[in-house]
This record gives sequence, C-alpha cells and structure tokens, in this order.
Amino acid sequence: METFLFYLFAALMLGGAVMTVASRSAVAAAVWLIFAFVNAAGVFALLSAPFLAILQILIYAGAIMVLFLFVIMMLQSPVLPAERERRGLGKLLVLGAPAAAIAVIAIGWLARSGVTAFAGAAPAEGGTAERVAELLLNRYLLAFELISIVLLVAIVGALALGRKEEDLPWQ
Amino acid sequence: MAIGLTHYLVLAAAMFAVGAAGVAIRRNSLIMLMSIEIMLCAVNVVFAAYSRLHGDLSGHVFVLMNFAVAAAEAAIGLAILVEIYRLRRTVNVDELKTLME
Repeated sequence: METFLFYLFAALMLGGAVMTVASRSAVAAAVWLIFAFVNAAGVFALLSAPFLAILQILIYAGAIMVLFLFVIMMLQSPVLPAERERRGLGKLLVLGAPAAAIAVIAIGWLARSGVTAFAGAAPAEGGTAERVAELLLNRYLLAFELISIVLLVAIVGALALGRKEEDLPWQ
Repeated sequence: MAIGLTHYLVLAAAMFAVGAAGVAIRRNSLIMLMSIEIMLCAVNVVFAAYSRLHGDLSGHVFVLMNFAVAAAEAAIGLAILVEIYRLRRTVNVDELKTLME
C-alpha cells in the first residue's frame, strides 16, 4: 500500500512540476504548481510528517500560490508573445534530457548499491504539531526568532517596493 | 522492494532537475519564480526523508524555516516583478538586459 501511494504521489508531483515548467500560460503553470504541491503534501504524509503535510497545503498551495495568481492577474500577461509561437517539441527535449539522465543514473545507483531502507516501521506518532512545536520552541528557539525577523524584513521590503518613490519616508 | 530513503532522494533530485530546467529554459519571469519554488520543495522532501531515516524531528523544524524563506522569497520576488512591469511593461527576461549592456 505504501509502495503504491509513494509511486502515485511521486508521479503526480513530478508530472505537475513538468507541466508547470512546460505550460505556456502563467495561469496554467500556477494551477499545475498547486497540483504538484498538494501531491508533495501526500509525500510528506508518507514520511510520517502530518504537520508538514498540512502546512504544505496551507502555506504553499494556499498562501504562496494565491499571491502568484494575484500578481499574474494584475500583470495581465499570462502568455508572453515571445513564447507563444514556440512549439512544445524543443521544450520537451530540453526537459526530457535531464530527466532521462537522472533516471539512468538513479537506476544504475539502485542496481549497484540497493535501497537504503528506513530503520524499523514508521513511528506511531511521527511529526505531529505538538512534537515539532516542542523542538521549535526549545532547541531551535533562536532560529525561530531569526526566521521571524526574515519575515518582518520581507514585509517591510515588499511594502517599500510597492510604494511610489516620493512617498518613502527617507525621500 | 520496500520504499526507502533512496526513493525519496531520487524523487527530490528529479524534482530539483525539473525546477532548474525551468529556470534555464523559460523566459517568463513569473514561471521562473515558480520553478524556484519547485526546487525549494525538492529540498523539503530531502529534509523530511532524512528526518524519517534518523527518527529525529529536527529536519521538520528546518522544513518550517524553508517555508518561511520561500514565502519571503515569493513576496519580495513578486514585488520586484510588479515594479519592473510598472517601469518596463514586460516580464520577459530577454528584454530586461539594461544592466548587461
């Protein structure tokens, strides 16, 4: 069952990523990316990380992709004229070559060294919100505070970029 | 064959390659930003897989950090893009080469 689910989520996630890169329209790319991220949440769930799976959907598929779609709609140019005429074949080759190279290397690697298995069965609890928060607010408290500063600077930076130049306080 | 660490690493490598190819071949800067998100997502899968291998949740904490970095990157990147669009009326990176000339 786990094997089946892994291959299902992995194939859908990779397919979504490839379609994101291959779509001509930015709106289509964004929707495919949401699809890929939802399947990435499935991969996290298989890695016994339910909290990360939920956050993946909330933050990535929710917040970040809404921001992307909002900007795409605002810029009103979902398809670039320069990319409109290009047919899919060349793009498919450029995408297919690295994917095929990786597949060959991966199969060779698997054949030579076998699979590094996870020790034991999946832990009963895994990364629940409670256990992750315990680590986050004790051992990694400093990193947690620093990342909040990163977010604060990002907010200020985005606001400063969005305003007219003469409105900025230091002008 | 049971699913092990190797499967997740191969998946993440393929995902990263797709993202890198996207940055390399696309001319639409919005889709280039999305490709960067794909690469960040691949990194998250590696963090979670090693966390599962060692039975240590520290990896999950760093995935959370990566979420925050990705959100900051998207917000700033898109703000810069909107500003460029306001000045130049384009999001095609081939037409944005003033610094190069």
